Amino acid sequence: MNLTPEQMDQGRRNFLKALAGTPALAALGVAAGLRGPIPGGRVRLGFIGVGAQGRAQLGSVDSKYGDVRALCDINPAQLKLADGVLAKNQLPPARHYADWREMLQKEDIEAVIMAPPLWAHADLAVGCLEAGKHVLCEKMMAWDVEGCQRMRAAAERNRKILEIGYQRNYNPMYQAAHEGIIKTGTLGDIYHVRLAWHRNGSWRRKGEPPTPDYDPSGWGYPTFDHLDNWRLYWKYSQGLMAELASHQINAANWFLGSTPEAVFASGGLYRFPENREVFDHVYATFEYPGGRTALFSSIESNAFDDYYEMYFGTKGTLIMLHEREALLFEDGGGGRQTGIEVTPAGPGAVAQTSETMAANTNQRAARAGSGTGPSTSVRPPATRFQMQRFCSAIRAGTPLACGSAKAIASARACILANEAVKTKARVRI
Amino acid sequence: MMSPIRLSGPQQATLVILRTLVGWHFMYEGYTKLPIQAWSLSGAPLPPWSSAAYLKAATGPLAPFFHWLGNASWIGSLDVAIAIALTAAGVSLMLGLCTQAGCGCALALLATFYLAAVPTGSPDPRAEGTYLLINKNLVEAAAVAVLFAFRTGSIAGLDRLRIRSRPPGVRESEVTL
Repeated sequence: MNLTPEQMDQGRRNFLKALAGTPALAALGVAAGLRGPIPGGRVRLGFIGVGAQGRAQLGSVDSKYGDVRALCDINPAQLKLADGVLAKNQLPPARHYADWREMLQKEDIEAVIMAPPLWAHADLAVGCLEAGKHVLCEKMMAWDVEGCQRMRAAAERNRKILEIGYQRNYNPMYQAAHEGIIKTGTLGDIYHVRLAWHRNGSWRRKGEPPTPDYDPSGWGYPTFDHLDNWRLYWKYSQGLMAELASHQINAANWFLGSTPEAVFASGGLYRFPENREVFDHVYATFEYPGGRTALFSSIESNAFDDYYEMYFGTKGTLIMLHEREALLFEDGGGGRQTGIEVTPAGPGAVAQTSETMAANTNQRAARAGSGTGPSTSVRPPATRFQMQRFCSAIRAGTPLACGSAKAIASARACILANEAVKTKARVRI
Repeated sequence: MMSPIRLSGPQQATLVILRTLVGWHFMYEGYTKLPIQAWSLSGAPLPPWSSAAYLKAATGPLAPFFHWLGNASWIGSLDVAIAIALTAAGVSLMLGLCTQAGCGCALALLATFYLAAVPTGSPDPRAEGTYLLINKNLVEAAAVAVLFAFRTGSIAGLDRLRIRSRPPGVRESEVTL
């Protein structure tokens, strides 16, 4: 075919003229500006750290949302257990790695779910973000504030999603309480919050090394016990403040709409001084703006109080109990208890309130006396909702509940609470 | 033989706009039915589309045939074929490419949809309206028939490029009625 430049030019003009005669291009332009269904399949996921919490995350993957491609853990026994979780949930097997960098290089994954020991959060999350992966990191955000800030900077620099896994944010009961009780002002002015997480036990795991000659020293753990019980050593952990308090402080920050300004605290290693470093009893007072105070206590010598968050307002009291129940008491002698019912089947919460009985500040006695409790005893699958929302955020850009800013705020408060215990001083946050 | 008449500019424009609108409707209907994984704006994976439910709910004299189709083991292939046909007809009408064939394809699809559920005038709370014999499928089919009759590809669209390359015959923008 031999065309002169003039013919070529004429042909181009004819083509453009023909297109100009139809509004098709304009329609396609409009269509491009609008957003319809967003193309894309399931989000390709890799997991780093498949210990107990990692496996809980793994078991919460909805196969309509996520596709688990690879698992990474330095302990082969954990990988084997994770395989069982995949099989139990009828998910296909995933490839195994001990080195997370190798996993990122070899696997075509888009996002990483990570639940390694706390001290590794920052380095692993930054590495994944720098590799262009979205990250859902188990709480607490990082071992120190500097690590949190590195994570946030890496997410911003690479324009990737960084979500910190606080399940309460995705618990329909908490969402219902926030929307229906807190935001509506039902409690009046809240000046005091009580946060408790009481247990009776050493927190010590009794795991066995995967093989008699297993040596985790290459990853920074001098013995297998340090790896298995990393939560008990300051090098890897921030103790009860990170593993328990940060959940509740994060929720209190959400419900109070602010973050603590200062903390003073006490505590120590009183009951289990052998073979561990972190405190087994901590008591912390967090000062929020506006004269509001949150008291947190965590003890490992008595489980009677169990765990809960109580919001004391001028018009009522809200108790978030065991992540399973929400109780509302109107203030005054004639107050009523009102239950919030949760529908765990859907992502949205249904708040149904109903009068049940006279107020009684002794929750256990009141619940026992009520016979039919006002709330379900089923723990909503918040981790599953979190996983779904993480995948949705990657594909469709839907908002997430706990990004860097919120997670840094709660992490900073908890890290400095430990500082307050150690220095026996009031620490500004 | 009837003498050719020249359509006015507004007449040509409205015909082409009608063709584009119908084409867009077909193309988007087909695109969303293609087995391409997608998510809703609210962030939920969209389930794959299937014509099975529509076919199984067919009424009218051809209902047994449509019910058989709806229960066929190869319904997945039929779903893909319908999606491709819708998309192709839509692209054809929007771009004015093989317009007559596109109109024919669109007419066949609309006729099938109409025959699978001829409206009987009975109020259906699940339906968007109440129709007796005439529904939107039939009206759109009539619109496509108009596009077919007026050979709108010769007014505007990529068919003009093909027409230009032919020996002089029927002049552009002239329609024999």
